Amino acid sequence: MAIEHTSRQFPVIDFTSIGPRVDEQFPDVILPDQHGVVTDLHAARAGRRALVVFYRSARW
Amino acid sequence: MELQRSLADYQRNDIAIFAISYDAVGVLAQFAARHGISYPLLSDTGSRVITALGLLNEQVFEHHAFYGVARQEHHWGVPYPGAFLLDAQGVVTQKRFQSSYRERETGVALLEEGFHLASTARGPWASAAGPGVAIRAYLDADAYRVYQRLRLSVELTVEPGLHVYGRPIPDGYVPFDVEVAPVTGLIVGALEGPRPRPFRVEGLDEEFAVYTGRARFSLPLVFTDKAGDLVVRVAGRGQVCSARDCLPPITVEVELPLAQRNHVDSDR
Repeated sequence: MAIEHTSRQFPVIDFTSIGPRVDEQFPDVILPDQHGVVTDLHAARAGRRALVVFYRSARW
Repeated sequence: MELQRSLADYQRNDIAIFAISYDAVGVLAQFAARHGISYPLLSDTGSRVITALGLLNEQVFEHHAFYGVARQEHHWGVPYPGAFLLDAQGVVTQKRFQSSYRERETGVALLEEGFHLASTARGPWASAAGPGVAIRAYLDADAYRVYQRLRLSVELTVEPGLHVYGRPIPDGYVPFDVEVAPVTGLIVGALEGPRPRPFRVEGLDEEFAVYTGRARFSLPLVFTDKAGDLVVRVAGRGQVCSARDCLPPITVEVELPLAQRNHVDSDR
């Protein structure tokens, strides 16, 4: 479990029920990649384990 | 992005990486070219998928207020920062998310703490020894970015026949602890490590808990200010004892260099 330790007064969010849940199939995600190639995440995964990172921006 | 440095480790372990943001394809193309990113950066323009998955960060303007920064309208649409770990069937095995839009874990931490695999993309390390003990400390990157969570690992090695006290600990004895010398803006999280094993000293009524052999601890570090290139000073403090005697408490110190890097395309 990720450690929450940001500044003491910062509101901490419980992510258990936000977004896809543990032990559930990750939903189908189909989006273009940096080359403009439409990518189906599960197909591209090709039966491997995966790390799916959500980040704020490549610009800021 | 820092994740690219760990890519070889992920590939060797046959783990695919995908990164999703609300950036347009053109922005991602430039970013990938500039930083040599070879894993897929998926473009969720308009945050359609982010929203459909329930990951839209609805606190971002409150966070601006909390951080004392002016409200930035173009920040709307970002997801909560974090990662999903999927097994070979595509089932979520772990969710590792942060409440603040400013924080993120390193690829090394995700590999080691998430997938429990060894990383070769380590940062600087240093070791030092005292009577009966040694500590070896390393960071999971050689540079820090403001608000990126770094992990400081500290390996404690105790000579055979000796032990170091952990908690719970009776009065008058010093349990093993790790301290990081203060740096402006540095937030040091709680020490995590293995549970020490129970230990009874003959003739004494008290219950002790001790570390023997090797034990690995971990401390999260977050820099909230740009403090330039710096040196992280780590001190392991504890009390080494044999079955009969205890040495006075000792402190073993190491230093780890850490460079400051800026976030991509911004100089904050």
